[in-house]
Amino acid sequence: MPELAIPVAVDADEVLAEVTVMIRTLLEHYGLDDVAIGRWCRFHDDLDLESIDLVKLATALRDRYGEPVNLAAFLAGLDLDALIGLTVGHLVDYIVAALRATGTERRR
Amino acid sequence: MTLLTVCGLDVHVQRLLPRGDGREAPLVVCVHGILTDSLASYYFTLGPALAAAGYEVLMYDLRGHGRSHRPAGGYQLERFVGDLRHLLDRLNVRRPVHLIGNSFGGTVAFGLAAANPELVASLAFIESEPALAPWQPKMAANLARAKRELVREESLAWIATEYNPHTARLAKGAAKLLHSTTIAEDIPASQVLTEEEVAAIQAPVFGIYGDRSDLAAQAPWLEKLLPRCRTVVIPDQEHSVLIERTPLTRALLLEWLGEHALSAPAGPVRPIRPSR
Repeated sequence: MPELAIPVAVDADEVLAEVTVMIRTLLEHYGLDDVAIGRWCRFHDDLDLESIDLVKLATALRDRYGEPVNLAAFLAGLDLDALIGLTVGHLVDYIVAALRATGTERRR
Repeated sequence: MTLLTVCGLDVHVQRLLPRGDGREAPLVVCVHGILTDSLASYYFTLGPALAAAGYEVLMYDLRGHGRSHRPAGGYQLERFVGDLRHLLDRLNVRRPVHLIGNSFGGTVAFGLAAANPELVASLAFIESEPALAPWQPKMAANLARAKRELVREESLAWIATEYNPHTARLAKGAAKLLHSTTIAEDIPASQVLTEEEVAAIQAPVFGIYGDRSDLAAQAPWLEKLLPRCRTVVIPDQEHSVLIERTPLTRALLLEWLGEHALSAPAGPVRPIRPSR
C-alpha cells in the first residue's frame, strides 16, 4: 500500500466539506452554483447529477484519498435502487470507513 | 477526466488497471449503447469486477454520449467503428482486445471484428446483433419513434411510472441527443454487413439475451452462422440486462473471459499509455 502524499482527514465533517467542493465542481458543468449541498442530498434526484458525473467524482476521490477509496467498487456492490437513492451522507460514511480501515491495517 | 482526440473529436476515456505483478493483463474494451447509455453503465457494474479478476479495462463514451464531444452529425455505424479503431491506435494497443458490447455497442463490436479481425481476440455482447440489411429499417423505426415520443410529457410521465423517474430523466437526455443531432437519420443510413462477412468472424463470440426482448430469437441463427459462438438467454428479462441483472451478467462474462482471455497465450504486447 503506497503512502499518501498528503495527510488524510478521517473526520466525517472534513470529508463532507471536501466532497462538497468536488460536487460543486461537477455542478459547474451545468452552470449551477447556488445548490444547497448536505448529507441528505441524493445525487440523482436532488443534485440532478447523472451517472457519468459520478464517474468523474470517482476520479476526484481517488486523486484525493488514494486507492482505498474506490467509488466504482463501492457502487458496483449496490443494487439499482440503492444507486439511484445514493446520498452525499452515504458517500461520506463510505469514505470515512474506507480510510479508517486502511489506517487500522497500517497500524498492525 | 481523460479526454483523447480521436477522429477529430474529444473522447472521454476511463481505464481501470488490475492489481497484480505488473505483467501485461488482457485488455477488455467495453462499448456502451446509444441514447440513454454512457460508460457509467460499465464503470459501476462490470468494470471493478473485471479489474479485480486481473483484466485491464478500457471504457469510453461513444461520440455524442456521456462526456465525449457531441457533433451535429456523423453518427453512421462505420463512424462509431472507426472511432473505436482509432482509439485503440491512439492508445498504442498492439495486442488483440476482448470486446464487450452492450446493445448498439455490440453492433459496433461486430463491426470492428468484421473489419479488423486482427484487433479482436474475442467478442461478448449483451442484447445486441450484427448490423445486417434488416437492421436498417428496424433502427429507423425505433429511432423515429423515440424522437417523436421522448419529447412528449405524457410519454416521460409513463416511463417514470412504469419504470422510475431516473429512467425518465435518461429518456429526456436521449430526446436532446435525438433533436440536436442527425443520429436518428444517420444510423439507418449506415453501411451494413453481409451474412458472409459476419460468418467470416473467427473470434469466439458470446451473447447474452433477455428472453422478453425481440433479439433473443436470433440466438439459434447466430450460433449456426458462427461456429465459435455461444449464447445464453436469461428468463423473464427485457432489454436492460446489464443494469437489471448485473450480478448474473457479471458472472457470465467473467466465466467466459476466463476461458478465452486468461488462458490465451500472450501475443505481442505493448502497454497502453493514454496521455492525460
